Amino acid sequence: MNKPNEARYYVHGVEVPQTPPARAKDQEPWDETRVLGEPLPRVDGYERVSGTAVYPADMSLPRMLYGAILRCPHPSAVVTGVDTSGAEGMAGVHAVISAFTPEDDTTRPHDELIRSTLFNTRCRYEGEAVAAVAAESPYIAHDALRAINVEYEVLPFVADERRALEPDAPKVHETGNQVSDTERYERGDVEQGLREADVVLEEEYRCECEIHTPMEPHGCVASWDGDRLTIWESTQGVYNIQTQVAASLGVPLSKVRVVGHYMGGGFGSKLQAGRYTLTAALLAKQTARPVKLTLTREETYLAVGNRPPSNMRLKAGVKRDGTLTALDYSGTGTGGAARAGGTSLLDWLIRDLYLCPNVRTELTDVYVNAGPARPFRAPGHPQCAWALEQMMDALAVAIDMDPVQLRLKNVPTVSQGRNGIPYTTTGLQRCLEEGAREFRWEETKNEIASGDLNGDIRRGVGMGSGLWAGGGGGPPSTAIVKIYSDGSINLNMGASDIGTGTKTVMAMVVAEELGVSHEDIQVEHADTGTTQYATASGGSKTVPTESPAVRAAAIDAREQLFEIAAEEMEVDVSVLSLRDGKVVATGETPREVNVAELQGLRRRGNITGVGYRGPNPSDKAVNPFAAQFCEVEVNIKTGEVNVVRFLGAHDSGRVMNRLTYQNQVFGGITMGIGLGMTEQRLLDVDQTGKMVNKNWHDYKLPTAVDVPADMTCVPIDPHDTECNTTGAKGIGEPATIPTAAVVANAVYHATGVRITDTPIDPTKLVNALAAARGGE
Amino acid sequence: MLPQFNYVRAQSLEEAQQQLSTDGARVCAGGSDLLGCLRDDVFDCSKVVSISSLNQLRGIARTRDGGIRIGSLTPIAEVAASATVQETHAGLSQAASEVASPQLRNQGTIGGNICQKPRCWYYRGEFHCLRKGGTTCYALAGENQYHCILGGYRCYIVHPSDTAPALLALNATVHIAAPSGSRTVPLDEFHVHPRDDPQRETVLQGNEIVTEITLPAPPPGLRSSYRKVRARGSWDFALAGVALALAFNGDQVVSGRIVLSGAAPVPWRSREAENAVIGRRIDAATAREAAAAAMEDATALKRNAYKIPLFKGLVEQQLLAIAGA
Ligand SMILES: Cc1cc2nc3c(=O)[nH]c(=O)nc-3n(C[C@H](O)[C@H](O)[C@H](O)COP(=O)(O)OP(=O)(O)OC[C@H]3O[C@@H](n4cnc5c(N)ncnc54)[C@H](O)[C@@H]3O)c2cc1C
Repeated sequence: MNKPNEARYYVHGVEVPQTPPARAKDQEPWDETRVLGEPLPRVDGYERVSGTAVYPADMSLPRMLYGAILRCPHPSAVVTGVDTSGAEGMAGVHAVISAFTPEDDTTRPHDELIRSTLFNTRCRYEGEAVAAVAAESPYIAHDALRAINVEYEVLPFVADERRALEPDAPKVHETGNQVSDTERYERGDVEQGLREADVVLEEEYRCECEIHTPMEPHGCVASWDGDRLTIWESTQGVYNIQTQVAASLGVPLSKVRVVGHYMGGGFGSKLQAGRYTLTAALLAKQTARPVKLTLTREETYLAVGNRPPSNMRLKAGVKRDGTLTALDYSGTGTGGAARAGGTSLLDWLIRDLYLCPNVRTELTDVYVNAGPARPFRAPGHPQCAWALEQMMDALAVAIDMDPVQLRLKNVPTVSQGRNGIPYTTTGLQRCLEEGAREFRWEETKNEIASGDLNGDIRRGVGMGSGLWAGGGGGPPSTAIVKIYSDGSINLNMGASDIGTGTKTVMAMVVAEELGVSHEDIQVEHADTGTTQYATASGGSKTVPTESPAVRAAAIDAREQLFEIAAEEMEVDVSVLSLRDGKVVATGETPREVNVAELQGLRRRGNITGVGYRGPNPSDKAVNPFAAQFCEVEVNIKTGEVNVVRFLGAHDSGRVMNRLTYQNQVFGGITMGIGLGMTEQRLLDVDQTGKMVNKNWHDYKLPTAVDVPADMTCVPIDPHDTECNTTGAKGIGEPATIPTAAVVANAVYHATGVRITDTPIDPTKLVNALAAARGGE
Repeated sequence: MLPQFNYVRAQSLEEAQQQLSTDGARVCAGGSDLLGCLRDDVFDCSKVVSISSLNQLRGIARTRDGGIRIGSLTPIAEVAASATVQETHAGLSQAASEVASPQLRNQGTIGGNICQKPRCWYYRGEFHCLRKGGTTCYALAGENQYHCILGGYRCYIVHPSDTAPALLALNATVHIAAPSGSRTVPLDEFHVHPRDDPQRETVLQGNEIVTEITLPAPPPGLRSSYRKVRARGSWDFALAGVALALAFNGDQVVSGRIVLSGAAPVPWRSREAENAVIGRRIDAATAREAAAAAMEDATALKRNAYKIPLFKGLVEQQLLAIAGA
């Protein structure tokens, strides 16, 4: 099977109806734009900065109770009894539920293969839910949790995925610790390719497990009105939550309303409903009061997702002229105790990023007694880049070729991972060339080569490239643009704005078509009760999915408006345009009419334009491409690395808003520095299996001083006229793909030491540097 | 979530001491460490006694003999920014400015900083470890990348404070108010080694309060410095740190102290390194010798072997820097 699985990754389990074709289906992307591409501030910037934006964690309803979940402290245990009497007797406690109360007939959503009830008596990871309470205050709720007595039979565990397949490893599930058959891919003849190579290198790499740790913890507020349930959820996709909650509770979709206006970050971990969502709904039902359930920071470290740890081995062959002849790759990973995509897309770059006729990959996903993985900003890709991009760097050194040149030599012409179909556009070559030029790659390398080697500080530069398997978007999406009788405009769409600026970009699309400022567009979004169906904001597909639908809706509204105007102005529609709230007729005697003065519009009340996302080109791949560059200084005695500057050159199609685009690039680089230099989940693998650093202090996210002030964003727009009607591809995930490897390559350039395990910090580097200096 | 506790804000030192004589009462200065411990259930606490109203415990002043007196409630940020401190005891200012983050330096006090609880994740986490009255130190066979390489004995924490090593290098004295009167303890003797008691960090009794810290007048030719290496640039404790306070006569070191942080369960004075530099001029060779001497007795645990070359590199670099070599 050579079919990429990216589509499945994000809409897995969600039915995807085909939408009617876009009315403006023959639309080409714009040649010139008035609004799009400008560095415009966010339409909700004031609300976000002033604190008036209401996030689910801020919600407060009359008579609202607070829920809290008791979690298993062991990585593997059987719950033999739960004594809730202490909690039930406490003043202010309204409900206590557990595996032993009748309400727990709910199966967990989003996991067809391992069915489980809301509260398990067989706990397979630290943090698995055992019981829950609802109480008058969060403090009473947590005191109540302390008063619940659980009896556990503690069982042996395996927490390190590198040991999971050892014969004596405790079994996470009765079926054993391998999730499914090893996934294999092959093209060409790898052995032959290796024979043809002038240089063959082989190396092992490892990326540590990362936790999403969004600023706003996971959580929701659930409230019943008769048999109708409303949930305010911190989510990337209200329709995903609606589907999963309705299915799990056995309630019709029409009775479940999910609202998700603001959310404080998800990075892939908020694409689905949590057990906490169902728990809140059940507690609310039982108490007949709204229930708010916000996870504690510690819970978010254990139970709501991670980027799986990845162990990779790569053998690569190259000719002296830089032609890649073979890539032989294997990877293992773990989604924890769940079937959660422990090796998702972990080989995609090997399959698709560089021209190479002979490729073999195999991926093995295993179970361990640890929290479930969830998609994390470009699943699999940064890990795969950590291996592939370091290997490319090493190959370049081995054949004495510049690493930019080696990559240029192997820029793919077609998507080899998809049996050779073309990309709509590939800006990889331009990313490499223009990125290198802006970065002053050659000049800096020369400066460093002729620099002095006294003192303990060494400079180095590194680079790497990447592509993202998704980023093209696609149907379904429906958007509505309304023009009211006073000329004001409303955009209605189901998509969530996960902090990336979706509302702003979509308002700009409407503004572009309707001749107004983006600030004049009122946006209604992310509410299953009042807005249109949209898939979740994930996979870097929100702009390419939603913007064509929004554009089509704006065009539909404009066409209807022009029909009214043409009649009243007694001109042909073809001479009409919109500018600053006026319909302008060009011709012998140019005239203009305020939209608000159109009698036909007054009589109708408003115009409703509907837009649908049309299909993607059927025989082409739509992918974003990237090249990144950085400079570091390394203290060779202490292993301290200072990232001096970073540059991201990205082909993500049209730049919709220069500011939000740049935000993604800088944010992606920051996150990549986290993977490469500071972050790692640490489990007490040899003793208790428990996570030791489940807090924001011990789990080290990069701070402002860990990322360079000197960051540059170089957008490469290849003017993609085929991908969709706006010419935009995704930027969120590609922005973080090569980053960690780029740092590693720069550290190698500076010191001659290659660190193949994340994170690169003094704990790794200082030993390697001392060893390289030799027995000092 | 914080558990239940009573809270009093004492209006006088006497009241504070009286409130503290109840079992399970704890002093709260800036609260930046104490509240975290309570939230994480590290120890029981029935009453939090805030001393934040005791303004007489705030401030930095030059003493008549040319030393410095620092009230225990003085924010760490103030110690870092103090011109008085920078003038004669620069190493302390540098150490204070390396603590945590700007917010924590504003909230945290110097007294709280030297009294803070260890940051070992087993101690802070849901592990009934030796320091909490259990029978094992989980760090010994567990995730010990940040634990000690010197002075470990049944418990393998590192002392978390950045200011304490600088204060120790600068020969500070801790002034303590006790119900029976006040007493002074040289910083050398303030922290408790696990060999003596693995369940306490300082010599303070339950109702004793640190009132001030004094530094003696700098000896002629004193130079001091503090540097720490950490896994991330801010909001992080030392992987390795070194406080130097060396008195020079010309380019000769005549006396002084070298204290390591991130190395041992208490701020760790390295007499071996001191001996290697005192009476000598610091050049590349002396610096390397002293650095090696500092690590002579070091033994690594499974995951912290990097600390040994790290300390060597750090001590060497800092000695050369302070000598201006
Ligand atoms: C995320 C984080 C990162 C940090 N990073 C660093 C770092 O890099 N370097 C560093 O040195 N520190 C660091 N710290 C620790 C921080 O500096 C201390 O929390 C702070 O100095 C404590 O001061 P406080 O006034 O808030 O003390 P409190 O929290 O009020 O008290 C701390 C302890 O000391 C006792 N105590 C306080 N004052 C007195 C007194 N006058 N007499 C007797 N006992 C007293 C209390 O009972 C308590 O046990 C960090 C802390 C956090 C939370």
